[in-house]
Amino acid sequence: MEILFLNALANGILLGGVLALLAFGLNLIFGVVKVIHLAYGQCVMLGMYVIYTLKAIYGVPLILASTVAVLVMGVWGTLLHLLVIRPLLGAERLNQLLALAGLIIVFENLAHVIWGADLRGLRVDLPVVSLGNIFLKTSNLLAFAGALVVLGILYVVLHRTYVGLAIRAVAQDRECASLMGINPGRIYLLTLTIGGALTGLIAAFFSPIYSVHPHFGGSFTLMAFIIVVLGGMGNLAGGFIGAFIIGVVTSLAAVITSTEVAEIVALAIFILVVLVRPQGLLGARRAR
Amino acid sequence: MKDVAKIILLGLVIGFPLVGVSPYLLHVATLIFIWAFIATGWSYMGRFGLVSLGHGAFIGIGAYTAGLLFNHFSLSPWAGMVAGGMLAGLVALIVGWACFRFGVMGDYFALLTLALGEIVSLLLVAFRDYTGGSLGFTLKRVSSSWFYLQFEEKTYFYYIALSFLLAALFLWWYIDRSRMQKALRAIGEDEIAAATLGVKIVKYKLRVTIISAFVAAIGGVLYAQYVTYLNPHTLAGVGPSLDIAFKAILGGMYSLWGPTVGTTIIVLLEEYIRVNYGAKYVGVSQIAYGVALVLLIIFMPKGIFGTIEEKIKSVLPKRSRTTSPREKS
Repeated sequence: MEILFLNALANGILLGGVLALLAFGLNLIFGVVKVIHLAYGQCVMLGMYVIYTLKAIYGVPLILASTVAVLVMGVWGTLLHLLVIRPLLGAERLNQLLALAGLIIVFENLAHVIWGADLRGLRVDLPVVSLGNIFLKTSNLLAFAGALVVLGILYVVLHRTYVGLAIRAVAQDRECASLMGINPGRIYLLTLTIGGALTGLIAAFFSPIYSVHPHFGGSFTLMAFIIVVLGGMGNLAGGFIGAFIIGVVTSLAAVITSTEVAEIVALAIFILVVLVRPQGLLGARRAR
Repeated sequence: MKDVAKIILLGLVIGFPLVGVSPYLLHVATLIFIWAFIATGWSYMGRFGLVSLGHGAFIGIGAYTAGLLFNHFSLSPWAGMVAGGMLAGLVALIVGWACFRFGVMGDYFALLTLALGEIVSLLLVAFRDYTGGSLGFTLKRVSSSWFYLQFEEKTYFYYIALSFLLAALFLWWYIDRSRMQKALRAIGEDEIAAATLGVKIVKYKLRVTIISAFVAAIGGVLYAQYVTYLNPHTLAGVGPSLDIAFKAILGGMYSLWGPTVGTTIIVLLEEYIRVNYGAKYVGVSQIAYGVALVLLIIFMPKGIFGTIEEKIKSVLPKRSRTTSPREKS
């Protein structure tokens, strides 16, 4: 039993790494554009299908297929911004939420029409790494390491480049940023493009681990949400910590009981956080 | 003039099954009534700024309570409605109290209720020994009976669903005349200002939430009795929860007829696309449906009925309005 727990713990931490990337994308979009991207997990799902199509049907090498997926999903994010999010920028928050929820229906059925309802896996056989009694899949390790590297790069971009500064400025105060000569519209576009490219990258990390199906994205969107709220909406560091907490908790709960109960536990944490500490773990208290 | 039009419309709706229309049309109409009933109940709270994206939870609780009690103890669904409604009301009381006590509002309230709907759906799957899990379960068949609310003929259900819808519309009107409406409107416009004026925020919000949950639960029982099949993914969880909100908001949740109009349009759209294109391309109809929803939200943010009503009101001389759309914050 102890070994089982240790394994669950280790895998939870690895899962947390990838979830952190997912939460980062969602957080970035929320922080800058102030829109809750309800269909984020569904974008990851589409990215996985792109990789699957290239790899399994056309025999493109995985690395190349992943690169293409990142580009395709980046363009997809741009399109999404131009066609759906930009027209809704001045609308009520609720309408933005519902429009993106409508996109869930569109994306899932799009995948259903093109690729069918079957599970599509890449069947990549990678060796299992063992550390004493703990067994880790190489694919999970790679995803974890990859996610951390990408997060590191994104951190540097946000904090050490002009574009990063502009993005952070718009996130902090849109009007003030535009007074400083930043074009918020362009930053929004850029953010959604980066967010889209990130879904392609996450898809690349997920592809060797999971088989994809049209409803694959749903639970990941929900997970990403829970993490983002847990860490504090728009708070990137909070999202990072939250991802590991949720990764470990769900992984442990799944071992002890069942996957449904694990999801219920995650959702219960979400509700508690919203009730008791809506600003999230790392959010600053503000007057309500 | 307006009343005459209403009476004619009501007469048409009542007479509709008598002129020998096809069972399919009756089926679509019944679906519209049931979902319009639920969407109207949803709008009781939605129009005061309490936007719930988790009404699937209440539908699921109602339907499953009544369905399980019927299958295992042969309890009449009429009693099941009360039991399911009370259970849903209790859940609404607990969750609502926590939300309102801690001041959860706006987006956070929407997301929290979204999670609630998903939790109920997951619970229904997790207790698969009783609920049949993801596969759901079928209600016991009995011959046509008022007591067990099962009919061979669709006409009965048509009238039952219609009466429930009318009752929900009447309840809307009743709430609109009550003190509660004034309090809730004040809260919806500015919660802090209302509180300073001595409006008991938690009490009024809770009351309307419980009523809304009760209505949703009854709607769930009606729907389950009509299709005699219960499934956690069609009765609870994110999908149905969002569907209800879509129907109410697209119709226009601030006006009495809005949710009904919205439900009618969405159900007709769904059926039209499904019948004409569904067989050829599975899923394409759903894509078209989703795209239509997104377009409607972008181009008609106040809802279809709301937009039309606004046009009419700007033309006609001003009369006292029931509820004004919430000011954008």
